[in-house]
Amino acid sequence: MAAARYYDGTTALVQEVSVRATADELVLFRLSDASLLARWPLADVSVLGDTRHEAVPPVVRKGSDERLLVEDAAQRRELAGLVPRLQPLVGPPPAAGGRVALLGATLVALVGLFWLAVDVGTEYAAPLLPYSLQAKLGETVYDELTDGKHECEGEAGLAALNKLARRLADAAGYKQDIVVRVIEGGPLNAFTLPGGILVFYSDLIDQAKDPNQVAGVMAHELGHVVHYHPMKGVLRQYGLDLLARLVTGGYSDVVNGMATGGNVLLALRNGRAFEREADADGIAMLEKLEMRADGIASFFEQMMEKQPKDMAAAAGIWSSHPPTGERIAATRRPPTGKPAFTEAEWKAIRNVCK
Amino acid sequence: MTNLAPWGTPAAEPAVPVAAPDLTPSRPIYDGKLGELYAIYLRHLVLMILTLGWSRFWGRTRLRRYLWNHFAILGDRFEYRGRGLELFIGFILVLLVLAGLAGGTYLFWRFVLNARPFASFGLFDLFSLSVFLVGFPLAFVGQYAGLRYRLTRTRWRGIRCGLGGSARGYGALASSLSFANALSMRLLTPVVSVNLARPRISNVRVGTQGFVFAGSAGDIYGRYIGYYFLNILAWIAAGVVLFMAIGGTIEGLGITLSREELGRLFTEPSLRTVAILIALAFGLYVVFGLLILPLRCWWQAYLFRYLVSRSRAGTVLFATAISTRQMWGFLVLNYLIVMVTLGLGWPWVLHRTLKLIAGELWVYGAPDGAAIRQSGDRAPGYGEGLLDMFDVTGI
Repeated sequence: MAAARYYDGTTALVQEVSVRATADELVLFRLSDASLLARWPLADVSVLGDTRHEAVPPVVRKGSDERLLVEDAAQRRELAGLVPRLQPLVGPPPAAGGRVALLGATLVALVGLFWLAVDVGTEYAAPLLPYSLQAKLGETVYDELTDGKHECEGEAGLAALNKLARRLADAAGYKQDIVVRVIEGGPLNAFTLPGGILVFYSDLIDQAKDPNQVAGVMAHELGHVVHYHPMKGVLRQYGLDLLARLVTGGYSDVVNGMATGGNVLLALRNGRAFEREADADGIAMLEKLEMRADGIASFFEQMMEKQPKDMAAAAGIWSSHPPTGERIAATRRPPTGKPAFTEAEWKAIRNVCK
Repeated sequence: MTNLAPWGTPAAEPAVPVAAPDLTPSRPIYDGKLGELYAIYLRHLVLMILTLGWSRFWGRTRLRRYLWNHFAILGDRFEYRGRGLELFIGFILVLLVLAGLAGGTYLFWRFVLNARPFASFGLFDLFSLSVFLVGFPLAFVGQYAGLRYRLTRTRWRGIRCGLGGSARGYGALASSLSFANALSMRLLTPVVSVNLARPRISNVRVGTQGFVFAGSAGDIYGRYIGYYFLNILAWIAAGVVLFMAIGGTIEGLGITLSREELGRLFTEPSLRTVAILIALAFGLYVVFGLLILPLRCWWQAYLFRYLVSRSRAGTVLFATAISTRQMWGFLVLNYLIVMVTLGLGWPWVLHRTLKLIAGELWVYGAPDGAAIRQSGDRAPGYGEGLLDMFDVTGI
């Protein structure tokens, strides 16, 4: 016999009942006058939920909204002992402390693994992404970045730039297409987009002291290309963003905001590592082709002359690039080797926007 | 002996005396345990990572089952019978609808706007505009539809709850009221609060038992205007205090930070940076915590007390005496808990919130159970897709 609350499923009336389990049915008696209330065939009886989630899992009868609630845990156990179908009534749940510790440890381990997978996985995943997808992404970003700006169309100049880019890429064993584009104006910079899109600003070409500087910058940018840095950056950002969302349960905008901030810092740190890698590999490509490799360092030196204060060093953890002084020291090479461009090519490059 | 009958009888008592309404007070009971809640939540997080987030519909359902069933009114526990699959389907459907909308926007841009003279109007401009025009109203529609879903999956005494009214109507009302409120420098807040509370309360049903909301913005305007101007004063005071405190501290300590030193402080973080940031955060907390936030909580507590006390379900009345301090614990402390624990404090916040409701909500009287019947309304087959897309801060 178990004391229970009975809801009839058609009204919100509460009736206190006692439940007796026989061999093939549950018999419900009203407590008030001991009259028979209902007989539930055991075959139709089941439990909704479990003791891990429900404090009192309701016993229900198939095909009706009726409910039977046995508040007392000992009586629930007794009932479940008599009726095997009511096994889910048995509680109490195993001590929460152990589960919390176990799940907490699992969670920490999984977060670590996920982080590692993102950090290491992108290294391998980026080159595997379909090239057409990378190129499409690169084109979209390019359109956004250069909206309203003039793209230079000097054929000979572009051909010369693309020829060198191809040679450098071949030297690095990079098989995919590479496109070099020149945008009129400043800033004094060049950048790389997913899908092997290399973009030079014409100010950089105009202010370069010699062709080696342009070749040096191009070799550096190709360093980014052959390592799929732009794609890796995007993937890493996405992966860590996803992790932040998952761990906060997707519940808190505040935490997501903070995670985004952390992600930016992380992306910048990644950026600095990428720059160092691109510097080193750019030099390696030039040296493999036996070209003059002093362009990178001399370009940085020229920038330092213009702006004696090392902006990258000043920005510290907020900088996307390593301190310029450090980069000069790492990329300094003797002024010997084959020229990157012929006289005619260099002239054409200078006139690419005219 | 005087015979007053039949004309002399005094005004007779009515044959059936009207019983004084039963106003026995009671409070809900919440008997959830934080450890058990955490066991469910951590399992949810582990599965979230393993499934890359796709388990969230099922995890959310499990949390609700726990919270609902550990919360009881008049001795009867709530029952949550939603299923993760329903949330999943709702999410997929909304994803499809939004993809359709985005595709339509793109085609419109590609073939209509892209022609001159609209060429300067980029795809991203159009996208932001459509988020503004479609996203905000849809977020409100999602809130209402989400409430409807949760209520239709909620049972009390075996009786299904429900929510009438139109989610789209609510979306239109909420967007236009919010827009008007922004235009009027938030002076319409009482109108907005009351008119948005009305559909959310008066359309609620437990079976055939409806709720009634009898609030009116006029009742709370006086307090709001007081709050409104006190708030402005508080911001001015906070500004002055902060300004003087910063100036005073720097001078008082004889610290003169040059621009360069200040720069280095943040580009090359050291222990000193951390110390200064903590001091700054503490200063901000003192100024805002002591002036702005308590004032806000004072108003919110008042508004909440008002909304609750103007709601009833048949003969059952509700009241709460929630204080400014408790509202502070609800609004500010819960926020801080989630932030400081990087989200891991969420179950704790849920637990605290239900304990607060159980402690502060007074229910007067009890419904006539026999008179409340199961409603024949059809419940939505799936749920919360929109809510999931635009508002993820609920349980």
